[in-house]
Amino acid sequence: MRWRWSPRQPINAAKLHRKYSSGPGDQVHRYPDRKMAHRLLARRIWTLSSKEIRRLPVSSAAIASSSLSTSLQSSTARVSLLSPSHAVPHAPHRQVSFNVQDNEDFTERVVNSQLPVLIDFHAQWCGPCKILGPRLEKAVAKQKGRVAMAKVDIDDHTDLAIEYGVSAVPTVLAMRGGDVVDHFVGIKDDDELDSFVSKVIGQ
Amino acid sequence: MTAEIKLIFFRQLFEHHRDRRGPSFHNNNMAALCRGRHRWKSVKWTRLITRSVTGNSVLCAGVNNKAFIDGKYDYDVVVIGGGSGGLACSKEAAQLGLNVAVLDYVEPSAKGTKWGLGGTCVNVGCIPKKLMHQAALLGTAIKDARKYGWQISGPISHDWATMADAVQNHVRSLNWGHRVQLQDKKVKYLNMKGSLVDEHTIKALTKAGKEMTLTAKNIVIATGGRPKFPTNIPGAMEHGITSDDIFWLKESPGKTLVVGASYVALECAGFLTGIGLDTTVMVRSIALRGFDQQMAELVTDYMESYGTKFAWKCIPKRVEKLPSGALQVIWIDVMTGNEHKDTYDTVLWAVGRAPETKALGLNKLGVQLDKKTGKIIVGVDESTTVPNIYAFGDIGQGRPELTPTAIKAGKLLARRLAGRSTALMNYDNVPTTVFTPLEYGCVGLSEEEAESRHGKDNIEVFHAFYKPLEFTVAERDASQCYLKVICERDGVQKILGLHFTGSNAGEVTQGFAMGFQCGATYSHLLETVGIHPTTAEELVKVNITKRSGLDATVTGC
Repeated sequence: MRWRWSPRQPINAAKLHRKYSSGPGDQVHRYPDRKMAHRLLARRIWTLSSKEIRRLPVSSAAIASSSLSTSLQSSTARVSLLSPSHAVPHAPHRQVSFNVQDNEDFTERVVNSQLPVLIDFHAQWCGPCKILGPRLEKAVAKQKGRVAMAKVDIDDHTDLAIEYGVSAVPTVLAMRGGDVVDHFVGIKDDDELDSFVSKVIGQ
Repeated sequence: MTAEIKLIFFRQLFEHHRDRRGPSFHNNNMAALCRGRHRWKSVKWTRLITRSVTGNSVLCAGVNNKAFIDGKYDYDVVVIGGGSGGLACSKEAAQLGLNVAVLDYVEPSAKGTKWGLGGTCVNVGCIPKKLMHQAALLGTAIKDARKYGWQISGPISHDWATMADAVQNHVRSLNWGHRVQLQDKKVKYLNMKGSLVDEHTIKALTKAGKEMTLTAKNIVIATGGRPKFPTNIPGAMEHGITSDDIFWLKESPGKTLVVGASYVALECAGFLTGIGLDTTVMVRSIALRGFDQQMAELVTDYMESYGTKFAWKCIPKRVEKLPSGALQVIWIDVMTGNEHKDTYDTVLWAVGRAPETKALGLNKLGVQLDKKTGKIIVGVDESTTVPNIYAFGDIGQGRPELTPTAIKAGKLLARRLAGRSTALMNYDNVPTTVFTPLEYGCVGLSEEEAESRHGKDNIEVFHAFYKPLEFTVAERDASQCYLKVICERDGVQKILGLHFTGSNAGEVTQGFAMGFQCGATYSHLLETVGIHPTTAEELVKVNITKRSGLDATVTGC
């Protein structure tokens, strides 16, 4: 899987603030609460700025290697420099479906994900979750990397589940660019899941 | 104000606002927003500024703080104990607009068992008990099924792990459900051990040892009880388990000795026998103390015919662990004085429950405890000897140790604390059911109690031995299926007590409890038409008195 790296635009703090604060006329339901919006904003600014710092060596390396001769060695070097697994520790991003480890992990891999992410809130004791889980995996796999899935065990991550307003399980949230764009509760069959996932990706 | 203080100030404003209203605040509509704004006006700005400047906030975990300024407390009510009573009280109080926090903490059992939010009933009481009781009944039903034509080949066996897993999963779903409910009802939940510093201050401790202080206008104690271990039997605690552990075992308890004859002991022994385990009940004196003894005898007779072994009038002396891992129990037969021993895989102690008051620090506050039971002495309004401290549920002296009474008492207490009502909890006419293999449901007085209160000559006991229709084809023995209605002998013959053994006794008794609450008389009973064919209809047909000496067996249709 190749990822295209391109230099990011500088952060427009004012634009971000407009995007994340809710005022009259904004769809309040996109955020469970103001606290979460503030938290998302804080997370976003922090991780974006740290990403900016991290990204610099890679882009400069890419520019450097492209000016080299087209020998096999250098092209492999270029490819390897550009390849995601080298130098910058981004391995977790490559997994399409993963279990969330903690709040920082959630922020990094879900809120700040480049891809749209499905968040599967489930529990060990929930029978329907065990049915929905594999179906979700299948639907996500069909999209071949256009959508990721984060699995959150609500007993291990109770605060996270409560923050996102999860009451019954399974609850699946669809997040794009840090915003919750869609959700459903309960079981869905394969066709319904496929259309849900397609809508999330924006097809 | 400097920039730093401004930042702290505004953060405090948000945090204060958020925590008072709960995270789902913005889900509400404009009405809620208006309510929020009104709340803002009542907040003292001077208090916030003072708190910000001094850097104190009780909302920051880990900061030790005794923060009530200007006579305002952090919470209107803090409930210590997140069981049936505590949760009901806190949710009701929050719904009535009070600022409520509930502390729930489970001290692991001696064996290390612990569980989530919900208290004894949800985790190690009513819920898992009833589910395992059902598992046992289904075993009996499968045996009956053959007589009804079902082709079930071979002997049937039970797998503990499958049942335990399913039961434990259901309990965990209830833990989550309670967590969500607290969130929805805007009750602050703290998984911390609470103890009282003074009548308005509570010290809360996390498992890791982090401390937090809360102040409250009113404190409600609903910490319930835990099973007792016998103190004078060597090896009891090291090798035995209690009802706190039995429902969370991952492996079958195997050959079990249940020590005790309370409903806990009999119910546990009942379902263990039902799922096919070799079970013995060791009784010191009588079974189901406090219940009608004639009914208790019917219950234990049924259990004996069902396969449970009983060691009557025996007291264990010590428990030793053998090299094989099995437990050797030595006991004394009180009647003969002889010593006996036998080996078991599990020893389950069901010898009573002790109130959870030790960790609360009640003595130094002057909250009086009963000298014999250790429970908190409470008034009719659940008040203790300290004005703003209340206690109810299992922890209250003289209160029934039942979930429905705790829930109701909690809700009424919340209403009184919110100033919405003055109604007191009525602890009379409380129905209950013992879920032994042959269930026993009752409401009102036992025959012994009725005799002692009214005199044997002033009561009339109508009774009947009946045979459930379902037992006929299944060729089951119905000798212990019995019911009796104790009435006043004269006048309208008001019903004083109603007792019933049989299948689904709980379902049967519930309806009659309402009649009892309404002051039903014997003629009301006779005026009621029965539903046929049921076992409950026998209650409205009962007409043979004990006094007559006639055969009470129901015949015909």
